[in-house]
Amino acid sequence: MSYELYELDELLEHIWTAREDGQVLLQEEILAPGGEEAAALEEGVRQGLLLLRERDLSVREAATPVPDGVPGFRVEGLMEVALSPEGERRARDIIRRHRLAELLFTEIFELDEAQVESGACNFEHLLSPKVIESVCTFLGHPRRCPHGKPIPPDECCNRFQVDIQPLVMRLCDLPLGEEGRIVFITPKHHARLDRLSALGLIPGSVIRLHQRQPSYVISIGETDMALDKEIAREIYVRKA
Amino acid sequence: MHNHHKAKEVPLKEGERVVLVGNPNVGKSAIFGLLTGSYVTVSNYPGTTVEITRGAAHLNKKRYQVIDTPGVNNLLPLSEDERVTRDILLSEDSHRIVQVIDSKNLRRGLLISLQLAEMELPFLLDLNMEDEARSRGITIDTDRLTQILGVGTVSTVATRRKGLDRLVGGLSQLRASSLRIDYGEPIESSLRQVVELLPQAYISRRALGLMLLAGDESLKGWLHQNLSAAAIEKIEAICLSLQEKFSHPLSYVITEIRLRWVDSILSQVVAAEKMERSSWGTTLGQWSTHPIWGIPFLLAILYLTYRFVGVFGAGTLVNFFEQTLFGRYVNPAAIRLVKAAIPLPFLQELLVGDYGLITMALTYAIAIVFPIVGTFFVIFGLMEDSGYLPRLAVMSNRVFKVMGLNGKAVLPMVLGLGCDTMAVLTTRILESNKERLIVILLLALGVPCSAQLGVILGMLGGVSLKATILWSFTVVAVIIAVGFLAARVLPGKGSDFILELPPLRLPQISNIVIKTAARIEWYLKEAVPLFALGTLFLFFLNWFGLLKAIEELASPVISGLLGLPTKATGAFIVGFLRRDYGAAGLYALAKQGQLDPIQVVVSLVTITLFVPCIANFFMIVKEKGLKVALAMAGFIFPFAILVGGMLNWLLRWMQVQL
Ligand SMILES: Nc1nc2c(ncn2[C@@H]2O[C@H](COP(=O)(O)OP(=O)(O)O)[C@@H](O)[C@H]2O)c(=O)[nH]1
Ligand SMILES: [Zn+2]
Ligand SMILES: [Zn+2]
Repeated sequence: MSYELYELDELLEHIWTAREDGQVLLQEEILAPGGEEAAALEEGVRQGLLLLRERDLSVREAATPVPDGVPGFRVEGLMEVALSPEGERRARDIIRRHRLAELLFTEIFELDEAQVESGACNFEHLLSPKVIESVCTFLGHPRRCPHGKPIPPDECCNRFQVDIQPLVMRLCDLPLGEEGRIVFITPKHHARLDRLSALGLIPGSVIRLHQRQPSYVISIGETDMALDKEIAREIYVRKA
Repeated sequence: MHNHHKAKEVPLKEGERVVLVGNPNVGKSAIFGLLTGSYVTVSNYPGTTVEITRGAAHLNKKRYQVIDTPGVNNLLPLSEDERVTRDILLSEDSHRIVQVIDSKNLRRGLLISLQLAEMELPFLLDLNMEDEARSRGITIDTDRLTQILGVGTVSTVATRRKGLDRLVGGLSQLRASSLRIDYGEPIESSLRQVVELLPQAYISRRALGLMLLAGDESLKGWLHQNLSAAAIEKIEAICLSLQEKFSHPLSYVITEIRLRWVDSILSQVVAAEKMERSSWGTTLGQWSTHPIWGIPFLLAILYLTYRFVGVFGAGTLVNFFEQTLFGRYVNPAAIRLVKAAIPLPFLQELLVGDYGLITMALTYAIAIVFPIVGTFFVIFGLMEDSGYLPRLAVMSNRVFKVMGLNGKAVLPMVLGLGCDTMAVLTTRILESNKERLIVILLLALGVPCSAQLGVILGMLGGVSLKATILWSFTVVAVIIAVGFLAARVLPGKGSDFILELPPLRLPQISNIVIKTAARIEWYLKEAVPLFALGTLFLFFLNWFGLLKAIEELASPVISGLLGLPTKATGAFIVGFLRRDYGAAGLYALAKQGQLDPIQVVVSLVTITLFVPCIANFFMIVKEKGLKVALAMAGFIFPFAILVGGMLNWLLRWMQVQL
């Protein structure tokens, strides 16, 4: 992927989030901040916007100042950008990839905030639509990223609303009375993994969920066990 | 690597030890009971609070010592209990091992068997609970299992003595297992390197090496005694570089490989028919933890407890003991005897006076407290043996979470309703130090023991239902509030709630009789001397006229803040010795019509929250040290008075009618 396209994606991402937040973006925030390079930056944004227009990704840039408080994307109070349908679609995809990646890193890999951000930023440019669909399915077609912002749905999510269930789900989401085979466990600390494994809870083991309230009760083989929800959330199963 | 042992049989010699190991709730104690009969001693394992039960057995006309170890799920210890069991296996003289397995949970049992095999210790597999496995459609091919493991296997049903002779027979022909697990590369090559550095030990070097690879911290001491610093360093380096090749901790990787082996063994020996699990036990078990039906279930059990302990124990039995036995026969006879035999008025007063050792201490300990505590222990034994207690933990987990605890804390808390002192001892089942501290504090602060509860409920019943509700509400609210704060103030963290729920079973009468008898014996030994001590203390205070002086001194607090008659001071003074004793003093006052309803509630709330009794205090010192015990008492004493004072003020200000 060319550097140019990379930059363009970043720009689209910013346009989308700024619009979502009803926020005014200063020119420096669009690319990297840095006082000295302000002129170069201004030049960069100008080129970026130009590029957007060239590729029919944006339809309008108002050259005149827009009054404060109007939602939209504005550069230094000078310009407003609106996206074309194609630009809209592309921005949606990027946001979707970014937020799904965030969720994947936070929930499954349990990385910390900083790692999640840099990871997600790199990922969003790399993942193919097929992979993204798998990730989305794997996560059970989530609606919100870890920061609570909406994840734009795609076809796979709409299909899900009709019949498809996530491939892998948390133990706590397994329907009552049904069996699931453990796929992996992501415990908060090692001691928990050791305790669960001593009780026979390892990937491959089949467990059944009996109740959620007032505590989670599962059975493995002929043993019944009660667990905290926190632990049930860390066990991922595939419906058997 | 796979140096298959020639299966050599090791005959059992006279005087040898037989060690029972196995997962929790597999019937070890039941087997232990069958083997030993009545010569049982319970002692703490050296340096720990973990209890080990030992007993003598006469089998085949020979004498053995049998040891019941704490249940373990893995021999890579995660708790003090598991470490003790592992240490017993490591210690030189525990030659004969019987592993008790719950046949319907063979998988969990075999995880331990593989480790015993690895240690190259001779052992026998006892596939217990064969009845339950069969009723669930599970059959085990024991011949095939014997063939794979190379050790003897017997099936038993401990509760019906089934298979006992085969078990005894099998004991004299123990073999070390010939099974060796292949952990694959790179573990095997690291293991070889570690094994070369290890000295010859009682268990196999391979097993020790695996424990070290798994990062078993509890072996540190052993390492430093048996190895040079250089060798230890080398081992640590090997472990580190091996760990780098795995994303999961090695302890987990090793357990996982073992479980894969277990699963492949299972596929060869177990046939499971798909059967609907619908015995009465499973159905009741599901009800008992159901979010809705669990509550009436709990209430029904509470009601039965109340009928048995509150009405039968505290009513019928106490009446009989106090009024008939002691009131009509023991005390009058004692008074006559003492007056006739001892002419000294001082001694007469000491033995049979108002604060006499016989007329007060003995009457109180035997006639009032004993029936209540005894009936409570019966109920507790029933809950324990039927398997209801862990279900109570499921039901109450949420409430305990507020207090930085989890459902497991329900066990010491409920036992505290029997005897707080004994309950302090059982806090060791909790995993973190913080949890133990919080539970000990709450026990000392607000959980009334059954003796006290009996007296309190009797007194409140004489006032009104409203008063009873007000008292319970205040005490529960104070417990939760203090727990909530303690969870935030005390350092450390809670622990995971992962609790096995054994099936509900019909309680075994013999088990309950044995356990209740042991608890009552403990209670009599512990409590009766303290009653005597407390009475003696009061007697001397009274004899020297100090009781009056203290009453005057304390009256601003007692009558000013709490709004109680000055005579109530005596009750609070004895409350220092035992809270139930103090409550009994208040009971006497109320019976004489000296307390109005508000005074009853205020005094009872105060005495409920009042300082832990002396025995409880000493137990806290023993478990947590003098500093902690003093700090707790120093907080609880003024706090109880404060709560009582606030309640008094609030009730009078709102002009509550009780
Ligand atoms: N049905 C059945 N119950 C058993 C058998 N052996 C023990 N039990 C019950 O299982 C429960 C746990 O037994 P216990 O000996 O305390 O297990 P431990 O924790 O391993 O010492 C008790 O209620 C016993 O009565 C058995 O062979 N069959
Ligand atoms: Zn986000
Ligand atoms: Zn989707």
